Amino acid sequence: MQRRDFLRGLSVAAASAVVVTPSMSFAADEKPKGSNALSYKEALAAVTGSKTPEVSKKIALKVPEIAENGAVVPVTVEVDHPMNEDDYVKSIHIFATKNGNSRCVDAHLSPANGKAMLSTRVKLGETQEVAALVELSNGTFLIASQSVKVTIGGCG
Amino acid sequence: MSKRKTLIKVKPNKFKNGDIVKVSFMVMHPMETGLRKDKKTGKFIPAEYIKNVKFEYNGKVFTNMNVWETLSVNPVLTTYMKVDGEGTIKVTFTDNEGTVEESSIKIKPKG
Repeated sequence: MQRRDFLRGLSVAAASAVVVTPSMSFAADEKPKGSNALSYKEALAAVTGSKTPEVSKKIALKVPEIAENGAVVPVTVEVDHPMNEDDYVKSIHIFATKNGNSRCVDAHLSPANGKAMLSTRVKLGETQEVAALVELSNGTFLIASQSVKVTIGGCG
Repeated sequence: MSKRKTLIKVKPNKFKNGDIVKVSFMVMHPMETGLRKDKKTGKFIPAEYIKNVKFEYNGKVFTNMNVWETLSVNPVLTTYMKVDGEGTIKVTFTDNEGTVEESSIKIKPKG
């Protein structure tokens, strides 16, 4: 191939690249909202109602500090609370604060569980905080949260 | 639609009556959010996720979970359970389109 031909080819490729980029950025701008989209504040208010949850050390929230892959982030919530017939952990909720739909799991437990624990894997779109909200049978709410650094987002 | 592959695991393998065991439920599911685009056609892939997972032991619900599409692909859900004699653990899960599927295992405490 002649040097002249090569350079001509190069300029054509550059021109086409310029044409493509604006349309691509336009497509990225109009990100759709999911049908279940709900912000963290709204989701929290929907569960707790008018009560304010109390930050507690009884909840052991195990999340990696740095998640390389946001598509699979293991989350474990353990609550140090007895599971008797009249005093037990009613439910455990996991929230990802900056996801489009911040709700991940609502687990409704019963005294038949023996121990209050919930473990699963969630998707995280970006670096954010993961929160665990616990409702006790007497109506009080406990909360714990930890920030997770996400290297590659896992939502879309 | 064909049935999804599921797996229910009880840990530890050996347990006695009255012990508290870990029950994990795994299901092969795409958990599609509905926001991802197909790279070839440029169209959105329709949402497909699990809405509800119910754990039953001898017909009694011990854990009921509401689940959203923010869970990972092929989700794993783990909780604890108190063993109370021989019986079956049944897990029922509901899709966003309303399809209900279930799977179960039999457990037998020793000693």
